[in-house]
Amino acid sequence: MSSGYKPDILWSPHHADRYVICDTELSLYRIGPAGSSETKAGALPLSEETAATLLAINSDTPYMKCVAWYPKQEPECLLAVGQANGRVVLTSLGQSHNSKSVPAEKVRLSGDVDSGLVVTKPLYELGQNDACLSLCWLPRDHQKLLLAGMHRNLAIFDLRNTSQKTFVNTKAIQGVTVDPHFQDRVASFFEGQVAIWDLRKFEKPVFTLTEQSKPLTKVAWCRTRMGLLATLTRDSNIIRLYDMQHTPMPFGDEVEPTIIERSVQPCSESIISSFAWHPSAQNRMVVVSPNRVMNDFTVFERISLAWSSTTALMWACGRHLYECAEDAGQGVAATEKDIATKMRERAQLRYGHDTMQVWRNHMLAGGDDPQLRSLWYTLHYILHCSYTENVEQKQQSNKQSLIYSGIKNIVKSSSGTTETRHCWSGSDRQTDVPRYHSEERSLALQLCGWISRGPDIDVEPFLKSLEQEGERERAAAVALFNLDIRRAIQILNKGASAEKGDLNLTVVAMALSGYTDEKNSLWREMCSSLRLQLKKPYLCIMFAFLTSEPGAYDAVLYESRVAVRDRVAFACMFLNDAQLPRYIDKLTNEMKEAGNLEGILLTGLTKDGVDLMESYVDRTGDVQTASFCMLKGSPGEVLKDPRVQCWIENYRNLLDAWRFWHKRAEFDIHRSKLDPSSKPLAQVFVSCNFCGKSISYSCSAMPHQGRGFSQYGVSGSPTKSKVTSCPGCRKPLPRCALCLMNMGTPVSSCPGTGKADEKADLTRDKKLAQFNNWFTWCHNCRHGGHAGHMLSWFRDHSECPVSACTCKCMQLDTTGNLVPSDSV
Amino acid sequence: MFVARSIAADHKDLIHDVSYDFHGRRMATCSSDQSMKVWDKGGNAEWNCTASWKTHSGSVWRVTWAHPEFGQVLASCSFDRTAIVWEEIVGESNDKQRGQSHWIKRTTLVDSRTSVTDVKFAPKHMGLMLTTCSADGVVRIYEAPDVMNLSQWSLQHEISSKLSCSCISWNPSSSRAHAPMIAVGSDDSNVTYGGKVQIYEYNEVTRKYAKAETLMTVTDAVHDIAFAPNLGRSFHVLAIATKDVRIFKLVPLRKDSSSSAPTKFEVQVLAQFDSHNSQVWRVSWNITSTLLASSGDDGCVRLWKANYMDNWKCTGILKGDGSPVSGQPGALSGILGSATAQRSFHLIWSKDYKVHCLPDLIFLSCLSDYLYILFL
Repeated sequence: MSSGYKPDILWSPHHADRYVICDTELSLYRIGPAGSSETKAGALPLSEETAATLLAINSDTPYMKCVAWYPKQEPECLLAVGQANGRVVLTSLGQSHNSKSVPAEKVRLSGDVDSGLVVTKPLYELGQNDACLSLCWLPRDHQKLLLAGMHRNLAIFDLRNTSQKTFVNTKAIQGVTVDPHFQDRVASFFEGQVAIWDLRKFEKPVFTLTEQSKPLTKVAWCRTRMGLLATLTRDSNIIRLYDMQHTPMPFGDEVEPTIIERSVQPCSESIISSFAWHPSAQNRMVVVSPNRVMNDFTVFERISLAWSSTTALMWACGRHLYECAEDAGQGVAATEKDIATKMRERAQLRYGHDTMQVWRNHMLAGGDDPQLRSLWYTLHYILHCSYTENVEQKQQSNKQSLIYSGIKNIVKSSSGTTETRHCWSGSDRQTDVPRYHSEERSLALQLCGWISRGPDIDVEPFLKSLEQEGERERAAAVALFNLDIRRAIQILNKGASAEKGDLNLTVVAMALSGYTDEKNSLWREMCSSLRLQLKKPYLCIMFAFLTSEPGAYDAVLYESRVAVRDRVAFACMFLNDAQLPRYIDKLTNEMKEAGNLEGILLTGLTKDGVDLMESYVDRTGDVQTASFCMLKGSPGEVLKDPRVQCWIENYRNLLDAWRFWHKRAEFDIHRSKLDPSSKPLAQVFVSCNFCGKSISYSCSAMPHQGRGFSQYGVSGSPTKSKVTSCPGCRKPLPRCALCLMNMGTPVSSCPGTGKADEKADLTRDKKLAQFNNWFTWCHNCRHGGHAGHMLSWFRDHSECPVSACTCKCMQLDTTGNLVPSDSV
Repeated sequence: MFVARSIAADHKDLIHDVSYDFHGRRMATCSSDQSMKVWDKGGNAEWNCTASWKTHSGSVWRVTWAHPEFGQVLASCSFDRTAIVWEEIVGESNDKQRGQSHWIKRTTLVDSRTSVTDVKFAPKHMGLMLTTCSADGVVRIYEAPDVMNLSQWSLQHEISSKLSCSCISWNPSSSRAHAPMIAVGSDDSNVTYGGKVQIYEYNEVTRKYAKAETLMTVTDAVHDIAFAPNLGRSFHVLAIATKDVRIFKLVPLRKDSSSSAPTKFEVQVLAQFDSHNSQVWRVSWNITSTLLASSGDDGCVRLWKANYMDNWKCTGILKGDGSPVSGQPGALSGILGSATAQRSFHLIWSKDYKVHCLPDLIFLSCLSDYLYILFL
């Protein structure tokens, strides 16, 4: 439409849900929730939640220049319209057309007499000889009016005395508007520049906002929020907001104004014609585009946010807080879980603590991560080998360390390799596949888990366990690599006939049985081309093995879908001394680069292993696995690495942050068993009041108390009563503040804990009974007594049990009042 | 399922900052109403306001907790040009019985001549140290030599960044291989002044902080900055809230320990998102630095997560008022992480595991919501 009639928008001063759009006509809209029964079919959607219904249209007043609502309650919907021809018309909208409550439907207030209607005389005439561009009432004083005139000035008139005025020369004379929350603050604009005035110091603007490239069309203060000014420039899709919570006081010192500039795009790309702040809803506005598309829009405050240590997100928007807490629900795909959640769950399940059957730890970790599975099996085999080695040959410490140093180093130290050519079992044909043997190679095979300890290579137990776990393809491949083609076929057949078996396996078995070592046979030709279509990696490498030339097993060795463990075992059997280290080195570097835990098999728990683990931690952040894995290393070596210490510290810190203090303590115990150097020293000593010597031997009723006494030359049998005195000077120990017995007297029963239900858990009672005897005291008032007595006292009281002591012993430490989250 | 819950904050003006303590059981908020509130999580996971007091004579911009091993200590900074250290005390009144705690002012740091825009405690392995930055471009590092006496703080370092500072972040790494490091962001909007993020590193030899790096590619005003929890990684990750969300990776290049020159870094941009459309106000990392939350002028909180290949993706959008982004009535209030999107899907399609990992998880959650309503 014509550029002269850009729609403008006005909120009703009384109905928070009504507004008027005026361009060539006046249209009254009511805003309501979208989709509700109230809004009719013709409602225009304003946003996702709200829609507008057209209530009335008034097209009686063409050539509108400006519009204003009648500010009083009655009559409602009375509007004053200023027209291009200089007339001001009062008109009404909606139901008031036929309502008697409106005394005059059309009142003309202009010097134009020919209309013949009510003509009023101006009450005041101000600012003669000057065209008024904008004006506003000053809310502080209802008799004052701020006028912006053509002659580049702003003037304040007092209606009680019209001759009195204060004025200032300025270019910024358009759109004067008073901040509703700070009534001395006024904004006006000129072209692209907004000036902010303080009426108490009217000589010059307090400050001006950064100039826009295009001329401004509207400037409006937010009605609900202090110091938020919205500005709009011509042909723009952006509303600029200026947040000026802290403007300098006109009489105060010189402070740089803190203005936060923001911009919003209420209707993405389309141009905004005008906007209006909602009179009551927080930061809400309705925006209208030149073609009358309306948009309900809320300006969000700057949101500040924070994560808690337990993955809850808190954010503050305006005056409100929102928390988004994680719900420990079941059934989430494990791959989608965040590592923080995973580590917490694993810590709860005591992941890493199974020292008897180390491989079981991967089950505790959820059992669905192939890398963790491989890692814990590797550690299991390493520890197993090292243990049996220990039992059998204690003197050979060299080999002991070799076990921990990974297959890479084992293979390097290999010597005395023998080459044999075996028959295919169950077939009399001689193969030309050379197989290599050495002591180190069979150690490597042990670490891969293919064989258990023993002089001969017997994979049968391994095959059986694989079959039991349902890994039939893998079992078949292992059997085949041990040149037992009959066993491989047998495994596949069993797999096919088993419950939920794969019938394809029979076909594969059939294909296998046709094996021939003739170079140019059809079988060979077909197998080498068709094997690529096999989806299962183990079936694929079986045929790859059968169709390859001896020594050229790249198709097997570089099949990345096959477990590293099996590829390495294969390499140890079929690669010669020149090929093997090269292949292992290459694979090790690959694993290190990728941070793949399967590579721990190759690197062992050495510096190489730490390097690999570092890239794993870099990638995943899983310090839990890193800590537990490195703790399994042979004492001293890897644990001294600063990186390992760093992971352990970080993991302990995580447990602390989650309040998994019991788990942290368990971890520390576990750690000190494997790394005795990490044992913390005693932190507190209790010394006797009289002689100053440590009384730590006597206060715990431990069996070694006798030794303690004999040290101090007290011969004779230590009787029970004597633990109540200092072992050094024989003076009695302090008394418990509650039972008034000397410390060291065992607590018979705690007062106030004789409830029936507490007796149910006997083991728990027993554990606690030891603790009840402990000597505790408040660090603030130094009163104390038996731990059990103290705890039961503070269950009901907040002040110290000693008379006239007002110390609130138990509340002194806020952290002490936190409950560990893993206690249940 | 992650559902946003509204908490009646009862602040009289805008809340500028929220901060959790080490354990996530306490929370502090600060506001333009010049007051601060401390919240404790009750047994039923509800937040109870246990302290509310007027702190400054201007808007309180930021609030932060010290590590609990230094006691219950808070620091706040304000437009009134000061930073204040607060400590909770017990034992003198019966406040605790009424569920109220008492915080007293231990010290007021008045060195700044302009608004103090950010305040942060240093990582705990460095001792009890506090850093402030102010609009006049000065970063100040204070130390409490005696942790038992919080009324004495000595100004240890003053770093002049020459640009109006808006935010600071300590590198949380406790590894001895990493020297103490602090990143400073500036909200100066003049792009010609160059990089708006400066990184300072402590030099053992000179015992001073020296500039180690300026991120020259960040030329727009920076509103927030956050080092990711290091967790034993060999590199540092820095999230920056400017006109977009940016994630930088700083890989320290090996240097010989004898040299006194600052560490050189290989700086990589891991990700850059402009989906907030406009200014980004805040960024925050979760404890393992695997999730990043950001808030921006679009009024949304967005969650970002990296897969194992370091590809960062948006995994959740929450509207600032907790309402659903999709606009479906009665829909989920919010989805955190792709895990959750999956989860909500599972709740509805518990028997259908075929639809597992659609590329667009947000769409998925909206879709599931929508279906959820239809089936009801």
